[in-house]
Amino acid sequence: MHHAFKLEDQEYNLELSRAPAGYRLHLADAMLPVNLHLEDDGSAVLTVQGRSERVLVATRGDDVFIHLGGVAYQLRYEHPLQRLAAQSQGSAADHVRAPMPGSLVALHAKPGQAVARGETLLVMESMKMETTIAAPRDGVVEVVHFAVGQTFDRDALLLEMKNVD
Amino acid sequence: MKRIESKINTASSDFQANAEHNRKLAEAFKAMQHKARHERPERDIQRLKAQDKMFVRERLKQLLDPGTPFLELSSLAANEAYEGDVPGAGVVCGIGVVSGREVLINAGDASVKGGAWYPLSVKKTVRALDIAIENRLPVVHLCDSAGGFLPLQAELFADKYYAGRIFRNQCMLSKMGVQQVAIVLGHCTAGGAYVPGLSDYNVIVRGTGAIFLAGPPLVKAATGEEVTVDELGGCDMHTSISGTADYPASSEEEAIAIARDIVGQFKRPDKTRIEWLPPEAPYYDPAELYGVLPRDIKQGFDIREVIARLVDGSRFHEYQPAYGKTLICGYAHLWGYKIGILANNGVLFNDSALKGAHFIELCNQNRTPILFLQNITGFMVGKEYEQRGITKDGAKMIMAVSNSEVPKITVMCHGSFGAGNYGMSGRAFDSRFLFSWPQSQISVMGAEQAANTLADVKIRQLARHGKQLSAEDIAAIRDPVVAEFKRKSSAYYSTSEIWDDGILDPVDTRNALGIAISAALNTPIGDPRYGIFRM
Amino acid sequence: MNSIPHPEILRAARKRAANWPFRSVLIANRGEIAVRILRTVQSLGLEGVVVYHAADRKAPAVSVADRAIEITGTTPVAAYLDAKQILAAAKASGAGAIHPGYGFLSENAGFARAVADAGLSFVGPTPEQIELMGDKVRARAFVAKGGFPVAPSAIEDDDPATFAERALKLPFPLLIKPAAGGGGKGMRIVRDAAQLGGEIERARSEGQRYFGDGRLYVERYIENPRHIEVQVLGDAHGKVVHLFERECSVQRRFQKIVEETPSPALDAELRQRICETAAGIARSAGYRNAGTVEFIFGQGGEFYFLEMNTRLQVEHPVTEMITGKDLVLEQLRLAAGEPLGYAQEQVTSQGHAIEFRIYAEDPSRGYTPTTGPVLKLRAPEGAGIRVDSGIVEGQDVTAAFDPMLAKLIVGGKDRTEAIARADWALADYALLGCVTNTAFLRRLLNHQAFVDGQVHTGFLDEHPEIAAQPALDPATLHRLLAGAALVTRPMRDAADLVPDLHAAIGAWSN
Repeated sequence: MHHAFKLEDQEYNLELSRAPAGYRLHLADAMLPVNLHLEDDGSAVLTVQGRSERVLVATRGDDVFIHLGGVAYQLRYEHPLQRLAAQSQGSAADHVRAPMPGSLVALHAKPGQAVARGETLLVMESMKMETTIAAPRDGVVEVVHFAVGQTFDRDALLLEMKNVD
Repeated sequence: MKRIESKINTASSDFQANAEHNRKLAEAFKAMQHKARHERPERDIQRLKAQDKMFVRERLKQLLDPGTPFLELSSLAANEAYEGDVPGAGVVCGIGVVSGREVLINAGDASVKGGAWYPLSVKKTVRALDIAIENRLPVVHLCDSAGGFLPLQAELFADKYYAGRIFRNQCMLSKMGVQQVAIVLGHCTAGGAYVPGLSDYNVIVRGTGAIFLAGPPLVKAATGEEVTVDELGGCDMHTSISGTADYPASSEEEAIAIARDIVGQFKRPDKTRIEWLPPEAPYYDPAELYGVLPRDIKQGFDIREVIARLVDGSRFHEYQPAYGKTLICGYAHLWGYKIGILANNGVLFNDSALKGAHFIELCNQNRTPILFLQNITGFMVGKEYEQRGITKDGAKMIMAVSNSEVPKITVMCHGSFGAGNYGMSGRAFDSRFLFSWPQSQISVMGAEQAANTLADVKIRQLARHGKQLSAEDIAAIRDPVVAEFKRKSSAYYSTSEIWDDGILDPVDTRNALGIAISAALNTPIGDPRYGIFRM
Repeated sequence: MNSIPHPEILRAARKRAANWPFRSVLIANRGEIAVRILRTVQSLGLEGVVVYHAADRKAPAVSVADRAIEITGTTPVAAYLDAKQILAAAKASGAGAIHPGYGFLSENAGFARAVADAGLSFVGPTPEQIELMGDKVRARAFVAKGGFPVAPSAIEDDDPATFAERALKLPFPLLIKPAAGGGGKGMRIVRDAAQLGGEIERARSEGQRYFGDGRLYVERYIENPRHIEVQVLGDAHGKVVHLFERECSVQRRFQKIVEETPSPALDAELRQRICETAAGIARSAGYRNAGTVEFIFGQGGEFYFLEMNTRLQVEHPVTEMITGKDLVLEQLRLAAGEPLGYAQEQVTSQGHAIEFRIYAEDPSRGYTPTTGPVLKLRAPEGAGIRVDSGIVEGQDVTAAFDPMLAKLIVGGKDRTEAIARADWALADYALLGCVTNTAFLRRLLNHQAFVDGQVHTGFLDEHPEIAAQPALDPATLHRLLAGAALVTRPMRDAADLVPDLHAAIGAWSN
């Protein structure tokens, strides 16, 4: 299982293959006949195991948005090469991301600076509330991607850390 | 094209008995295959685990596109050699789909003697690369070998078709523009180093992968230099300093993913166009093949019943239905591909041989791949037939077979005895693929016949020295000969020696042939050209 | 559902509008309310002008307006707060009136005054009325003086020296509020007399921080109160009517999410009492234009004046739906100096209407705002369904503005029908590219307490499970993964690249 999607912080491995008609979805615990037919009005008919329903689908980069059963979902595709390369490049703890959209209020760490786990790296503001972002582990700040006053979206990469040499 | 009308009564006791017999043979074959693929001494399993290596089957699963077929070749190679200690000859070969491309896979199996190359390992690899050359199949090498098995080095090193041929074949592929990627998952030492070295692309796994002409102990012995595996030929050294390896990977999984992406860059072949129709399942259930095949090798059966259970819609255009009736010739579609079929329905006579030669010419004229279904006891012998020129008619057929430009595929359905083996495109005649059914037999003549011949020679020898032999004495001479002859004429011996590309459960034949034909069409079909047909 | 306003009324108004002192209206707002106001302005044959910041260039108001004038600011919000630029735009465009919408400059007396000084009509009350009601302390005092109910309270300004002492005499629990506040900011609940002093200090510093004004007042805190407000309309001739109540008890972070009318908490007698109280308050202020009197409503049926909003409310459509009145039309008429033209008895209500605010926010993450591109947008249509939307496909939802994207207003012959329609309509409302609260709203409206009309302002805090992300059932997960895989190019391409033969044979091996 090379491909993966992230949904609600959970990673799902899967594969897609072509069947004589339509496709097969390969999951860890199941293989299902599936198909998706795009309609002229921008909606699509999704068929899974013979059951069809109208859905709305949109993509942007690796993000896939699906409105299904009255609920909109967001999934993020993880290309096998990126996912496997990331696995080998240490933990996600090296990448400090924005927990919510907002702006950078104060920066307490600069590139090259050694920080201890729990030490304040930066302060961000969202919805008039200040949130402190602390170092996920001991390490050295490698890159800081935003300057004070700049705004960012949720999950934006704020800062990268590396190991102490 | 009309449907073959089966004349078999599937409810008959004979059919049922055949079915039970052949089904058991197929099950026994599958059981042997399973053992060869998966059963390993605990020590070897633990060693792989300790090295953080995946089993070769797991590697293949990750390498191949999901939901696609894998035609494994020679799965029981070496099953009767080396006391059965080297299942599959320690190599896994086959045709599969990677990133949408049909590729040949040549994977070392480190769970068998650390992936050491035995003579039959070399033979299997050379044959696999021959298949790649003949069918222009890109190759994915999964390298994980301890190197040549030294005690048997004389049988694998120096001769024309020994280990050097692997590298020679790689070079031929490269010259032909057939791409290769090697994934270095273990040590590639000495000759083994050339597998990644001669590949267009290669990927190496950090920590476990290494490439060098001589490992650290040999280096120390030779020059006194002390060096670690990583320094000498590890991932980072080769990908950043020597340039011997192209892509570093941190895990086997990543290496395989990179290799998949590399194969995804390969230009897809322009397939040779032959006649094609949308595929259709056979009208007669292929599972009925078990009931069609007799329990006794000497018993005849109508080969059209086999054709009906292999081809699309069971439809068959029979050529010269009233002439040379011991050789059935005609056209059919298999997985949509138009093929010509030559299939035995008895001993080859003059007319059958002439019909066969003519039909081979027809198939070459209209670019139709040929399927040979062998059940042959040979060409007819005797004064009458010699006078009619059975030898020269047989020679015409062999001439046509040998020089055929269209791809040939042979299935050993039942018996394959004598020169009939040649006329029906036996191993020596460069069929692109040759498969055997479990109960099939190959030998220069029938076992009994041969044993009697051998026993007679012995008896006459002894008689010359005045020895009188009792019936028991004769049996004591004859029985071991028969037994040995039978063993060596069985499909399991053939496949162990790689006289074929593997045994097939008869019901798997249709898919195997479809994949084989598809692969064969990577190579353009040349214009027909023959030698002298003795008239 | 009949069109609002009735075509006859619109035709007549259109005719009269030819003689109004303005022929062009500038809307000093953005988003859905700008579109909403434009609709009525243009239906009257008037020219609709909008101002917009570059961040809103793709917004529907800009394309719907007859003229759109770009304004700038240090932040996008600052642009919409820049009275000088907006007045200049009005002048440049020849607009004769300015409609401020809600928020931004809508309750800024200085702006209202500047508009008047520029010789333009301000679509709203007088600057004095805005000033009076804008100061919570003054407004309270004013209302109390008129004999209307206000919660027992202590106002710091009355006598700062005795403030704490007076507060202690009130029945606990208490609520401390900044005198200049709004939107729930800086409010603190005190249940224990010992904590009062400390909380007063904290509230003061927050008031100072948010509003630049540290003055406070303390009032009796009503447990689990409902929020009920009454829509009023007054003309320049002293005439005031009410357009019934709206209940806005479902709130998160002190912000309304769902508003409905009629309130399920009121019987006819109580309804009349609260509505007339509101009209009376407006009348006592000589209130002109549309306004809303908000009450805090206790579980025992007691209610107290909370504040008066001197503008069009976000939730005005529910009132429109049950009364058939176009509130923006009424506002424009009144601003043009027309008399109300009907008596209280002529204002009738029919059916039930509920509004759902569609926010770009993630309820399961504490209602934090979300951002993203509007890749696909599909709004429900049908009987009893109205969508007031400020977004279109291709726009970006950014953190620059309030996260409200649109409002879904659903009507029915009764509350049950409205709820059923709302469930369907919310399910059909699809916005892809940015997380919204629609699924949360469906969980909310299907919650038994909501169905029973048993809600109060603390309802969502009491039931955090409504905001929580429900677990995915395996069937839905499979469908999502299937859909996602089928539209993801690397996956689809990989599958499509497999030759026909091999795809047909499938996962076979010999």
